[in-house]
Amino acid sequence: MGRVATAGRVDRGRRAASTAGRALAFVARDPALAFASAIVVVLVGLAVVGRLAWQYDSLTVDVENALEPPSWDHPMGTDGNGRDVFARFNEGAGISLLAGAVVVGLGAIVGGLIGVVAGIGRRLTDSAWMRVLDAILAFPPLILAMAVTVGLGVGVRSAVLGIALTTVPYYARLLRTDILRIRALPHVEAAVALGATRTRIVQRHILPHASSAMLIQSAAVFGYAILTLAALGFVGLGAQIPEPEWGSMITDGLQYALTGQWWIAVFPGLGLLAAVTAANVFADRARDLLDPRGEIAVARET
Amino acid sequence: MIVQLASRVVSSLLAVIGASIVSFLLLRIAPSNPATLILGQFASQEAIDNLTEEIGLEKPIWTQYWNYISGFVRGDWGYSYSLGTDVRSLLGAKLPATIELGLYAFVFAFVGALVLALLATYRRRPLVDGGVRGLSFLGLGIPPFWFGLMSLVLLSEGLGWFPGPDGRLDSGVAPPRDITGLYTLDALVTGNWAAFGDALWHLVLPAITLGLAPMGFLLRLLRANLLDVSREPFLLVVRSKGISRWTAFARHALPNAFLPTLTAAGLVLGQLLAGSVLVEKVFNWPGAGALVTDGILRQDFTTVQAFILLSAFVYVIVNLLVDIASAAIDPRIRAPRSVG
Repeated sequence: MGRVATAGRVDRGRRAASTAGRALAFVARDPALAFASAIVVVLVGLAVVGRLAWQYDSLTVDVENALEPPSWDHPMGTDGNGRDVFARFNEGAGISLLAGAVVVGLGAIVGGLIGVVAGIGRRLTDSAWMRVLDAILAFPPLILAMAVTVGLGVGVRSAVLGIALTTVPYYARLLRTDILRIRALPHVEAAVALGATRTRIVQRHILPHASSAMLIQSAAVFGYAILTLAALGFVGLGAQIPEPEWGSMITDGLQYALTGQWWIAVFPGLGLLAAVTAANVFADRARDLLDPRGEIAVARET
Repeated sequence: MIVQLASRVVSSLLAVIGASIVSFLLLRIAPSNPATLILGQFASQEAIDNLTEEIGLEKPIWTQYWNYISGFVRGDWGYSYSLGTDVRSLLGAKLPATIELGLYAFVFAFVGALVLALLATYRRRPLVDGGVRGLSFLGLGIPPFWFGLMSLVLLSEGLGWFPGPDGRLDSGVAPPRDITGLYTLDALVTGNWAAFGDALWHLVLPAITLGLAPMGFLLRLLRANLLDVSREPFLLVVRSKGISRWTAFARHALPNAFLPTLTAAGLVLGQLLAGSVLVEKVFNWPGAGALVTDGILRQDFTTVQAFILLSAFVYVIVNLLVDIASAAIDPRIRAPRSVG
């Protein structure tokens, strides 16, 4: 479709369109990838358009219409206070996707900086940073995120900070190992011999080669962040109950689910499953594509 | 070898100390004064001041840390004001339930992953393999607390096959004589078949719920390892010697695929520890995880802190043991690495 729409434009436009067309064809060949892309499009659409266009508000209480099963008027029913679950679902999609993006950004930046400092620094700097990371890695991730949220005070913001902290060591170690590997390659040695500055070597000769591993990691972290935010909301440390976050919506639906009002807890759970699975599929495919060992497999398939 | 082992032990020790500092500081920067939390918001300023002094909150943070940690090592894990008991006996009473649930969840995850991974790689049928990969994605992507709730709605409320979320035993069944605290084991030892069946029945749904994420994780790992190993030339040699496909898989491929899985044991333990907090809440399982969620709701963080510290200890120790075990099994790991 993109190819037809831009035909006749300048050469650059045509090339861009054919790249987009190739990307579309690539996605279409892989059912799992197509499915994951569709999920992302739908969830982003609901989070952006659905929230603006839908007739109900996510927080408006309407006790007369409490606990109504799904209908045309309320596609996902209403909760115990008559709030429209569909409106809450859409807003929850926004919260989860945004939280995932913030965690990926924070984790990649802070972890990446530590990784660079440890990777190019002296031995002592390196092992000092590694000990700090060890202390963070000594916790099971969700437990550490819980500790941070307890410390900073419950809420989505502390939860996101806590989750980001748990991802920092993974980013840092990944980048550090990659840098140590790349540092030993001949082209870096050549750059050193030519008298390039340290900043330039890191920017031009090391980081570009390390970026693919960070990309794969980020897709996986995105799914992990969404799931963990919901888990924290579920135990009462993340979003607090009227707030339309998927995890706290499930907690809210817990008491109704066993008496027949299943819809309050079912839909946010389906949203979580869809979002996290999509992220995991992207991480898996990115690994297949960018991981040197996987390149052979891709070449064989096409 | 000895030097490597010693440095690994030392770095584990450092990690535990670091972790204890991290968790202590995190729970002390909490905006509210613990004394206010304990006495309630209507308490007089005088009472709050007295309690602040009694717990030692006015002392410098490092003194507080030292007091807490040295107390922890001596077995004084703090006092839960909302429950009126000391934390150690609380956790001690609740831990067996968590351990029993975790054990069954682990067995489910491991056996499930093993069977499915073999199914996917044995004949390499694309359809079966695709289905198995889908299952591993499902296991990793499904929120455990939500899956537990759905299983209760469908299989307990809907079809009545399993008991509802009412703990470890039906109210009419007396718990077996307390030996280990694991009901199924105690019932088996004492020959109490009624309690054994009932305890097992109550374990099915929570154990599957808790085991789902580790199963997805182990399945992905085992499948990839088995595929890698099955492409190795030595397997072709084994097969060409006339050894059956099954024996080749069971005797030659599996042991080689297991080692990388062993190194993931620490991660699985982390999943089980963290998952128990979520799953126990859904099933009203009277374990340590439920104690943590209760503590959060009551803003009584002494139990939470003890649980966090304890998980960090266990987690580090298991990871250390895994490293030592894999070095003992695989000589390649023992060799000094060039990078790192």
